[in-house]
This record gives sequence, structure tokens and C-alpha cells, in this order.
Amino acid sequence: MILQIKNLFKWVNSGGNRVFLLNDIDFTVNEGEFISIMGPSGSGKTTLLNVIGMLDDFNEGEYAFLNEPVHTLKEKYRANLYKEYIGFVFQSYHLIDELTVYENIETPLLYKKHSASERKALVADMLDRFNIVGKKDLFPSQLSGGQQQLVGIARALVSSPKLILADEPTGNLNSTQGTEIMELFKQLNKEGVTIIQVTHSESNATYGSRTIRLKDGMIVNN
Amino acid sequence: MIRNYFKIAWRNLINNKGYSAINIGGLALGMAVVILIGLWIHDEITFDQNHKNYEDIAQVLVHKTANGKKRTRYTMPYPLGNELRAKYNEDFEHVVMSSFHSDNILSVGDKNISKRGGFMEPDALKMLSLNMVYGNWDGLKNPNSIVISQATAKVLFGGKNPIGELMTISNKLDVQVTGVYKNMPFNTTFNKLEFIAPWDLYVSSYTWVKESRDNNMWDNSSYQLYVQIANGSNMSSVSSKIKNVVYDHLPEYGKKSHPELFLFPMKDWHLRSNWKDGVNTGGFIQYVWLFGIIGLFVLLLACINFMNLSTAQSEKRAKEVGIRKSIGSSKRQLINQFLSESFLSVVFALILALILVVLVLPAFNQLADKQIRFPYNNLYFCLLSSGIVIATSLIAGSYPALYLSSFRPVNVLKGTFKTGNSASYFRKTLVVVQFTVSIILVVGTIVVEKQIDHSKNRPMGYEKNGLVMLEKVTEDYKGKYNVLRNDLKNSKAVIEMSESSSPLTDIWSSGGGFKWAGKSPDFIPNIGMIFIGHDYGKTIGWELTKGRDFSRAFPTDSTAFIFNEAAIKYMGIENPIGKIVRWNSQDHKIIGVVKDMLAESPFKPVKQAVYMIQYENTSWINLKLNPKKSTSASLALIETVLKKHAPNVPFEYQFVDQSFAKKFVAEERIRTLASIFALFAIFISCLGLFGLASFMAEQRSKEIGIRKVVGASIFNLWKLLSKDFVKLVMLACIIAIPIAYYGMRNWLNNYEYQTNISWWVFAISGIGALIITLLTVSFQAIKAAITNPIKSLKAE
Repeated sequence: MILQIKNLFKWVNSGGNRVFLLNDIDFTVNEGEFISIMGPSGSGKTTLLNVIGMLDDFNEGEYAFLNEPVHTLKEKYRANLYKEYIGFVFQSYHLIDELTVYENIETPLLYKKHSASERKALVADMLDRFNIVGKKDLFPSQLSGGQQQLVGIARALVSSPKLILADEPTGNLNSTQGTEIMELFKQLNKEGVTIIQVTHSESNATYGSRTIRLKDGMIVNN
Repeated sequence: MIRNYFKIAWRNLINNKGYSAINIGGLALGMAVVILIGLWIHDEITFDQNHKNYEDIAQVLVHKTANGKKRTRYTMPYPLGNELRAKYNEDFEHVVMSSFHSDNILSVGDKNISKRGGFMEPDALKMLSLNMVYGNWDGLKNPNSIVISQATAKVLFGGKNPIGELMTISNKLDVQVTGVYKNMPFNTTFNKLEFIAPWDLYVSSYTWVKESRDNNMWDNSSYQLYVQIANGSNMSSVSSKIKNVVYDHLPEYGKKSHPELFLFPMKDWHLRSNWKDGVNTGGFIQYVWLFGIIGLFVLLLACINFMNLSTAQSEKRAKEVGIRKSIGSSKRQLINQFLSESFLSVVFALILALILVVLVLPAFNQLADKQIRFPYNNLYFCLLSSGIVIATSLIAGSYPALYLSSFRPVNVLKGTFKTGNSASYFRKTLVVVQFTVSIILVVGTIVVEKQIDHSKNRPMGYEKNGLVMLEKVTEDYKGKYNVLRNDLKNSKAVIEMSESSSPLTDIWSSGGGFKWAGKSPDFIPNIGMIFIGHDYGKTIGWELTKGRDFSRAFPTDSTAFIFNEAAIKYMGIENPIGKIVRWNSQDHKIIGVVKDMLAESPFKPVKQAVYMIQYENTSWINLKLNPKKSTSASLALIETVLKKHAPNVPFEYQFVDQSFAKKFVAEERIRTLASIFALFAIFISCLGLFGLASFMAEQRSKEIGIRKVVGASIFNLWKLLSKDFVKLVMLACIIAIPIAYYGMRNWLNNYEYQTNISWWVFAISGIGALIITLLTVSFQAIKAAITNPIKSLKAE
């Protein structure tokens, strides 16, 4: 078991009324799973993903990540936790424009204080694996969307996380590129990485082992 | 990691060239100003420190009381030096009597030059620790010797060793060169001291000095006294020991003025030379403070710009912060990253600033009348520069660093992020602070200018144009008044000539002992005394308000007095013409009253003065040039006539209007410096405003696009974008005006003759600031307003 969420609520107050963004969420993710979160716009998919990724808070409930109770952890310790075990992949890639491909992939390692030689080896490994060695000195603006997303995934993977959180990873890509990325995820999952993706597309969801459907912040089918 | 920080910082600088230029350029300007001011302050506070015994040297001064007011004087009686040596020997290392330093003619063969110098006791050389090029510190022990500066030696003897050469002082005293000293640095009191001759020579050659010695005259103060206190003594204890030395030796009538001696330490000579009622009230030190504060303010302004532009760019950087946080950066690491960026900018700015300083230093020296050199190899300077860099990058970089690093990644990555109101308030506050400082500086500059103008346009009381004066530095003109006058008038170069004991721009002597009917017995008068020839009034064109001028037709005029109006008021005499004033055991009839003539400081009321006929003790020849001849022709003619009567005296003259103008040099210098700093402050503020306006325009491009689509005109949009800034500048005016008023009121109180601070000074400064703001902002506003809305709307 990699994470467990119990009776989790998140709300905002709007004009005296409580508007629930996440309403009594309850689920468990085991190691090696590939989960797709689906639902209409505004159903709370991204919010849930951010809560899982510890980028966002919640108001009530319990969340255990690798048996650590996240809701009671201090900010700093929580940051260490996700730095160590979680990689993010975003719909709009979110690469740092001022850095080259190589440097973008290297950045998480800098924050994890790897030595220079280690970094070199790990980044070279990634470049090799995704076949982008030739592009390592280019800046994000010089790449196509699919290539940028490859770099994004490489960056998420470089620190060998246990869990990858992907927020509509193919949302900005054409169908061919999208399929390539999904195939890549499937491959990674086979190699043992746990993946949670948010998606609108039923076909993308079929790559996963399980689908969680949300509506108005509630899980309607698990 | 660090390398990564700098890489990012560098790429950001390159990608945002406009912002970087404004940021770094503004900061560089600010730093250049601070460095210049720093160098200037250093030069001021190290004044006289070239003397090895700097800490222990002092001049003996005296507070004298008259009519309840204490005045501080530099003049000492002859016997004081010997008395201190005899009775207080253990307190002093050196005691050096000295004449007042003045211009004298030095001659070698047929070479005559005029150099400033004085007569001092032999210990002077050792006390001042002069660097001897030739000879040694014993140079003044022989009474017929002279020690000269290297510059003087070069002029008189060329490059050769002049020891043993013969020369004359004032065409009268034969002396032999016994030493040559290196010229003293520019920032020393004795910088212009070009020769020193032995005190004993002074005593034996001038009868009035000899009389002081022979009669042990404690009541004639005409000399200066310098001392170096003994090792281990301190100034204040020695001061209190010698306090009453003069008082104790004075006869009963002299004790009235109650002279109190004290030591005035060398370290205060330059910066704290003002006295009021026996208390030191500072002096030039206030300008050191003032410019120091201005320097800090200018740097602050530049820092504010930096913060402002950095936070303004935060939206651009927000995404990066979000990404970095989501892939594991801690807040501390982000803070470090942004601090590295500001550090890099600051280092670039420093390099630029140093280049700028090197380039403008010569011009600055000229403006400030300094000889400051760039301290390439000074360790302190390097340390200080690094200090400035670190301080500036911390001040300027800390807010952006803290602000940017605190973004929550969820918000910025969602794309819904907008910099909050708090940030824009902060930015607005910074703009207000900048303009407040700028407006204060502008008001200050205008008031200084106004004060100078006000004093320059004071009525002079005489006609200063076409007046030339010459100092009679030797005795060659003695007894030649009438021949000179006839020859000069016949040459048609001048229309009138006269002599006087003081130059027209000063009053050299003043005295007491005046008695008149109706004088209160407690009143101890002190009146400026000017001895003149009969033709003085005609030469300078003074204006009589009552009575008549001196005339050769009345032989009794030789004892008559003419007072100025200030004196008549001071003495309280009504209907003065014909009244008798007793002075120097003689009766003097008042025959006329003249309008007050401005002689001393143009910032003070005219001093009460009396004019009387005397042909013996005059030191100045005054000439009224013939207006029908060109000045150069007249001067050539005058030189010929004077050379005929005194062939060995160099022809050196001053125009009265020019030497009057010199009285404003200090104030004008301050005005120039203040106006330059004000200009810098405004320029830096404008840079900031410009950057901010361009950012605002960019940020509101969508809004502008929509407004345009629904029909807003360019003028509407211009108004929309400019309005905010105008409000800020008006707020700055409201804050700045009382502060500026208070500060300038205080400054003006240094001057007795002062201008008023009119409302229009503030109006001009305020309106000026508004116009500059509008110009700066309009460029961006109009640019944004004429952009095709399709562009800005498509970007969404």
C-alpha cells in the first residue's frame, strides 16, 4: 500500500455557504497500480491530485502516505516526503523556460543534493532512455509539445519516485503524441512505478488498471 | 547548485534586456553617486591627517566677552608663547608662535613671485612633520634662513638643490634657503603655505612686532599660536590649565573682556570651525552629514527601483517558482536563488559604477574643488565596495526573494495566479518614497539657489564694477600716494585712485574705546575701522546719506569720522552730523554718514564701521578704471606706471566684483552638488517609474484591448493608465513639502541675511515632478493604447 485516504473533505466558504471541493473521499492505492481519475470539469480531479501530491491542503480527514500521516506532518517534513517519492507531470509541461532540456531534467537532483557525477549519470540515463540525447542543449521553446512532455516525464522520473502524478498529461498533445506518451506510462507502470493520472479521455483511461470517477467532489464509482 | 543559480540569473538578465538595463543602470548610477560622495567625505574627514602629530596639534584660541556676548578669536599676544614654554613646559611638546600667513614677494636675482607664507618659530617644521626634500627640521634655527615648498623651489631655482642660495622676502629681508619641503596634500590647512621664515627674523625686522616684544605687550593680540601637547596630556585638561594665562597678565581695563584661552584641536580645524557664544557650533561638518545622507538616499532610491521591478516581474517568475517547488525546491533554496540573482545584478552595477566614477572623477574634482584620486590600491576601499555590494544585494534582493519564494505552487500552476493587492500597495509605497526624496532634494536645491541669488543681489552700497584693487605687499609704495595718483590719472587709465587699510571685500581691523555723549557706561563698543585716503569715496562711489565726504579743503578732516548707517544705529546717536566721538584720547567730529557697504559676509548684516583719514597704515590701492578705455588697455597702462615706482613688485591685481563673487564659492559649490544629486535622484526615480509603467501596461494589456474594442479612445486609455501614477506623485508632494520646509528653514538659519521660502518653490517642485511623471508614464501608456487589441486579446 502506497497511500490511503480516509473521509477526506476540502471546502471553501462562499457567501456563508460551504462549497465542497472534495466530499468524503475514501480510497487506497497499492504499489504498482495505474489509476485514472475521471469526471466532468469542476468535479475536483485536479484538486484531488494536488492533495495527493501534497501541493494542496485539505480540511478534514486522514491521508497516509507510505504509512506517514500526512495531515499531521510539518511542512518541511512533508516537502521532503514528496521530494523523495513523488514526481509530477503537468498538462502544460511546466518546464523552466530559461533552462535547457538537460538542466530541466537535472533540477530535481540539485534539490535532492546529488553529487555532480551522480547527476551526470542519472540525467544521461534519462536522455538515453527517452531518446532525446540530441536535444539536450535545446530550450523548451525549441521543442514540439510531445517532446516537451517527454522532458517533463523524464524530469519526473529522474529521481526515481515511487509515485507519478500526471494531470492530463496528453491534454495539450495531438493524438499520435498522446498515444506515445500513454504507451510510455504503461511501460513505466510495468517497470514498477505507481501512476495516478487525471484524464478526460476514456481511451487514455483504458491504459490504467483502475478508474476512479468523481462528480461534485464525490467518488461515484471506484 | 550555486552555478545553477547564476546560470538562471544570467539567462534572466539576457532575456529581459530592457528590465535588466533599467535595473542595473539605475543601481549603477546610485552606486556611483554613493562612491563619489564616499570619496568626498573621506577627503573631508581626513583633512590634515597627513601630519604625524595630528592628534596632538592644536591652535590656541580665546573667547572674549563684550556686551554679554562671547566672541572667539584667533589672535594671541606676543608674550604668550614664552609664558607657556616657561610655566607649562611639561604640558607641551612644541609651542610655535606664528605670524598670520599672507602673500609676500619672494625674489631671487630678477625673479619676483608672490607666494603665501609666514614667520614661525623653529619647532614648526618638526611639529607639522614636514617631509623635507633638502635640509632638515632644524632649518629655521638660523634667523636669516627660509624654508620653502618644493613648488616654490621649482619656480625660483628650477630643478637644482637650492640649499644655501640667497633670496629676499618682500624686497627687504635677505635670507638663505636652508630647507625644501614636499608640498602638503590638497586637503590640509597648510596646503597653501609656500614658505616659512624664522620668527626671530619677523621680530627683528618689523618695528611693531619688536615693540610687542620689548614692552611685553599682553594687550596687543596680533599673532597666532600653535602647540603640540605632550604625550599623555589631553586637550581639555591643558585647556583648563591655561585658561586664564592672558587674563592674569592684563591690566585692569583689559580684564573687562575676560579672555579665556583654550586649545582648538587640529582635527576640528576644518570641519568644526564655527563658534557662537563660546560654544563650537560645528561648521562644514554639517555638509559632510548632509551629503552622506543624500548619498544613502540615492542608493535607497536605486534599491527601491530594484525591488519594485523585481516584484513587478514576479508574475513572469511565478510559474518557475511553482515548478521548482513542485519538483522539490525548498523555500530556502528559492530565496538563495533570487538573492544570487540580485547579487549578480549588483556586481554588474558595481563594475559599471566604478567605471563611471573613474570617468567623472576629474569633473567632480573640479566641481567640488578637490584633488581626490581614485583609490585603486586601498584595501579599505575594496572592503567598503564589497560591503556596499553585499548590503545592496541584501536590501534590494530580500523582498523580491521572500515575496517570490512564498508563492503557493497550486495557485501559480493552475494559471489563475494574479499578484495580489498587497504587492501592488508595496510597489506604490516605494514609488511614493522615491518621489518624496526627489521632491525634497529639488526644493532644497531651489532654496539654496534662491539664498545665493538673494545675497548676490543685496545692495552693495558702492559701485563695484570697474573697481580694481592691489595689495601693497612690500613697502615700495610707501609715501608715494600723491605721485602715484597723479601719474595714474594722467595716464587716463583710471579716473580715480585711493588707498585703504582693508580691501573693499573685508574689514581687517576693528577696535573699541569709542566714547560719545549718551553712551551707556556698560556698553563696550566694537566698531570696524577703515583708514582711507581723501579720494576713497570718489573712487568707489559711496553714497552719503547725511553730511559730506572728506575734503582736502578742510584741514580738520584729518581727525574727522564718517560712520556707516549701521554704526550710527549701533551707537544710538541722533542727528549725528557735528557730534563729537572721543577715541584714542582725541576728539573726532562726525562729518558724514554713508550707506552701509557690504564688505564681509554677504550672508550677514553689514558691520558697524568708521572711516577715517590715514595715509600711514594703508595696505590696499583702489583704482576706478576709466570706462572709456578697454580694461586690458587700462591694465597695461597701470602696470607701466606702477613698475616705474616699484620695479621689483609683480603686478598683481583683483577685480572687486570678482573677489566679491568668491564669497559665494562655498554656497555655489553646495548648490551645484545638491542640484546634481537631485538630478540623479529624479533620474533614478524616473527609471523606476518607467519600468513600472511598462509593466503595468503589459499587465493590463487585456483590459486595454477590451476597452478599445468597446470604443475607448487613446486619450481615454492614456488617462486611465496615467491616473494612478499622478495620484502617487501628489501624495509624495504632500509628504515631502513639510519635511523640505522644516529642513530648509533650519539650513537658512545658518545665515543672518536670509531669503524666505516662498510657496512657489513648492509649487514648482510639485508641478515639475508631475510633469516628469506624466512624460515618463505617457510613453508606455500611449504605446499600450495604440496597440492593436487583436494582439493582446489573442494572447489569452
